[in-house]
Amino acid sequence: MTDAAEVKNDISQNISRISSGGAGYVDARYYMEDSSETLVLYDGDLEANDTTVQSGVGVRVLWDGAWGFAATSDPSGLRSCFDKAAQNARTASELVKAPLFMGKRDPVRGSYSTPVEVDPFTVSLQDKLTFMTRLDNELKDEFILKRIVYANFMKKSIHFQNSEGSEIQKDLSHVFGMMMAMALDCDGEMQRRSMNLYSTGDGTAGWEMMTNPELFSGHAGRIKSELVELIKAPQLEHGRRSVILLPGQGHLQVHETIGHPLELDRILGYELSYAGGSFVDLDSFGKLQYGSEKLSVSSYGGIENSPGSFGFDDDGTLELDYLLIDRGLLVNALTSRAMVNEANEKAGREVFRQSGGAARATSFYKAPIDRMTNVNILPGTDGTLEDIIASTEDGIVVDNPVSWSIGSNREHFHFGCEIAWEIKDGKRTRILRNPTYQGHTLEFYRSLSAVGDRSTWKVEQVNNCGKGEPNQVMQIGHGVPVVKFDDVITGERK
Amino acid sequence: MLDANIRSILMQVRDEAADQGIHATLLLHHEKSHLMRIGNSSVSLNTSEDLLRLDMVVTDGRRQGSQTFLGAIADADVVRSVLAAAKEKARVASPKTYDPIPDEVDVPVSEDSQFDTDLAELDPEVKESAYREIFGKLGEEYNYSGSWSSGATEVYLLTTANRNEAYHRGTDQLFSLVLKHPASKWELTHQQTGWRAADFAAEKTTDEIGRLLPTFENSGGCKVDPGEYTVILGAGAISEIVGMAAWTGLNGRGWEEKQSWTARMKPGDMILGENISLVDDPGNPHTFMFGFDMCGRKRGIFPLIGDGELLNLMYDSGTAARYGRKPTGHDTGSPSLVMDTGFGPSDPLDAARDMGRVLYIPALHYMNLPSRSKGIFTGSSRFNAVLVEDGRIVSPIFSTRITDSFQNVLGNVSVISSIPESVNGSNTYGRRTPVAMSVPSYMIASGIKITDSADSF
Ligand SMILES: [Zn+2]
Repeated sequence: MTDAAEVKNDISQNISRISSGGAGYVDARYYMEDSSETLVLYDGDLEANDTTVQSGVGVRVLWDGAWGFAATSDPSGLRSCFDKAAQNARTASELVKAPLFMGKRDPVRGSYSTPVEVDPFTVSLQDKLTFMTRLDNELKDEFILKRIVYANFMKKSIHFQNSEGSEIQKDLSHVFGMMMAMALDCDGEMQRRSMNLYSTGDGTAGWEMMTNPELFSGHAGRIKSELVELIKAPQLEHGRRSVILLPGQGHLQVHETIGHPLELDRILGYELSYAGGSFVDLDSFGKLQYGSEKLSVSSYGGIENSPGSFGFDDDGTLELDYLLIDRGLLVNALTSRAMVNEANEKAGREVFRQSGGAARATSFYKAPIDRMTNVNILPGTDGTLEDIIASTEDGIVVDNPVSWSIGSNREHFHFGCEIAWEIKDGKRTRILRNPTYQGHTLEFYRSLSAVGDRSTWKVEQVNNCGKGEPNQVMQIGHGVPVVKFDDVITGERK
Repeated sequence: MLDANIRSILMQVRDEAADQGIHATLLLHHEKSHLMRIGNSSVSLNTSEDLLRLDMVVTDGRRQGSQTFLGAIADADVVRSVLAAAKEKARVASPKTYDPIPDEVDVPVSEDSQFDTDLAELDPEVKESAYREIFGKLGEEYNYSGSWSSGATEVYLLTTANRNEAYHRGTDQLFSLVLKHPASKWELTHQQTGWRAADFAAEKTTDEIGRLLPTFENSGGCKVDPGEYTVILGAGAISEIVGMAAWTGLNGRGWEEKQSWTARMKPGDMILGENISLVDDPGNPHTFMFGFDMCGRKRGIFPLIGDGELLNLMYDSGTAARYGRKPTGHDTGSPSLVMDTGFGPSDPLDAARDMGRVLYIPALHYMNLPSRSKGIFTGSSRFNAVLVEDGRIVSPIFSTRITDSFQNVLGNVSVISSIPESVNGSNTYGRRTPVAMSVPSYMIASGIKITDSADSF
């Protein structure tokens, strides 16, 4: 795009033009910058050294209760892009049984910037590679067959305008890092240990996260020493026992079996043809005991250095801090304006007071849908990991997903993890290979028997959550403490 | 056809790069996509995308860098700046420990045998009225969702190795409908795929869902206990299992690195049942035919498994360079996998007539791999899954999980349908990349491990 001020001005005029033509609501997101850099060292060889740059405008028009969307990366095509979105909405409005509506809202003006100390796009490629090569060297060992060091940097500058007079500027920056070592076990099966960059919830989200030994760069030695034990370890036997999830695994459990089933568009049936539905329905709110009293879950936009923090969503709603599950009771969902209105209308009562600010699109050429923000389990009062282990008779501690497969209504699940530590009579005894566990969501969360304190709480990052049609990949955060579930089916039947 | 101005700009920059001794690959991807999404029996989104992407890869000895640009290509300076960025990344890159194999368009290619103007220009009104017709025929009392993606894709590839051009143009569509009972919550689905507008017919969907509706209306559904079962796997489930088995077992990288379930086998070894044969065939019209790979290699029929025997592994250019092999032009990028049909009757219920109680699982949801080395996968049934007794459908089943190995499932197949079916495997996460597999419309396998199931719909 050329002159940004000129484009913004054109957008304003087109929003007015389409609104005065009869649209119920119009918005546009102008991505002045959307860059992503991916670097992958594979056994020390630089196998990915790629940058993607894109810019453009996405336009959404609501016409008689139906959405039309169009996008363009060509500044000269702005007017026809608005016309296309309006035409798409008019066509859509011909088949509407449940009209969507945004409600009235006062104009919102604001801005949000991810706090960053060192913008990763200002760090030279040379310096990035020197850093990654150092990590790769730390992973090297005779018994290690494969090593991967991965880094991904994202930067988006987005200007939002809508027909209510809202104008929001967002400057988002994300850093993702991963290192992995693989080796063959005593049966010739490949085993791995990996480490994803995480945060403690405070601080900045720039290149400094990568170089922080606690958050990322200091873990090579640990995963190597765990791997050397893992490849000699016995297999986990099938049986029921307690399962203690470290945040490296717990975040994905939360993501798949709390986050996704609580997306309101999914609950209302808008994802049935792709991602699936939800066992939760509108009657569940305020009534369904989702988990034990130890389970409190929030959607929280205030985690400074998490990809799930973005200030304002793509409906122009301020990202909020609120409880989804309060001491086990389901109380709220991940919501956007139109979905909240539809849910309340459908239920004939106010199930949701306001939008939670979860409407997000992954790029200028995709329309916003309900997404996770930072979906977190709040820290509990059961002490440290060692305290929780000490109170466990027969169980396993597991970390990092290998495999995850979830029922279409998120009612049941199966997870495979990289590593398990066996717990017998309150003590870690040995490492076990190929741990898996499975369960039914409500039964599982109702068996939650211990939640670690703030010292165990970590914000894990997800940079590849897929949903929607056209499909969209989204970046999300999950703050999770160590959590323990009892009487879980673990391992596979012979 | 490819915009003449863009074509000449790309050729000009390619020639300039070649004159400067730069080794570059220029890949242009142009899509015009439309998607109508249905939710709660309404059009919930009607969206159009017209996107142009340019990938530039520069190889400088053992150093490589790449830059992708999404935006308008108004003049040669835009392309030159993308080239300059890729060149700079390559200059700074750390050298690989092996020599990359240079990309080269082997022979000029220009293909558009699967391009249909009617589908490329399909009016969204057509989709809206088709959904309206289907809702009316199946009954307004149900809740409908679905999506209908259609579009045209152009891919244009140039390299500085020579002046050849490779050009592909095609159209594709994927229609889906989900019917949900608002109170009982069971779901039925039907999909249609193809590259022509005329491949779609509303009756195909109303007939198939209409056939299953009485069973679902008249039964409360049942829970399947864990154990070993004989299972009729429908085309969707076959494509999921075979596609994942190929991705994890037949690509050269996984094999070389001992990560795949075939790692301890070699070409010539029996890896699956004698009735399983698989090829990658970009000439098969049940797939989306792509005649060259993204490095410029021309693609033909490539046998992978013949009568259960491992015949070949697929090597992409990077893996081949790394392990001293020859790139096959076939990789897991845009495959046209074709599984051989068998001799089973067209109706799976006829084939199951003497088999007592069997499960019919048409598709698997959310498959994943607890152990790639052992070939263990897990996934659950979703739509249209039923319990069959003596060839008669008796009841729908609740979401049922299979956790088993490729070797066991594809090693114990007793009946394979004689009818091929095209299964669209495209997603729309990134650029439009139509992918379809041709598989038998069903197969029956015994001793399949069911490990869990839901308690209700
Ligand atoms: Zn997800």
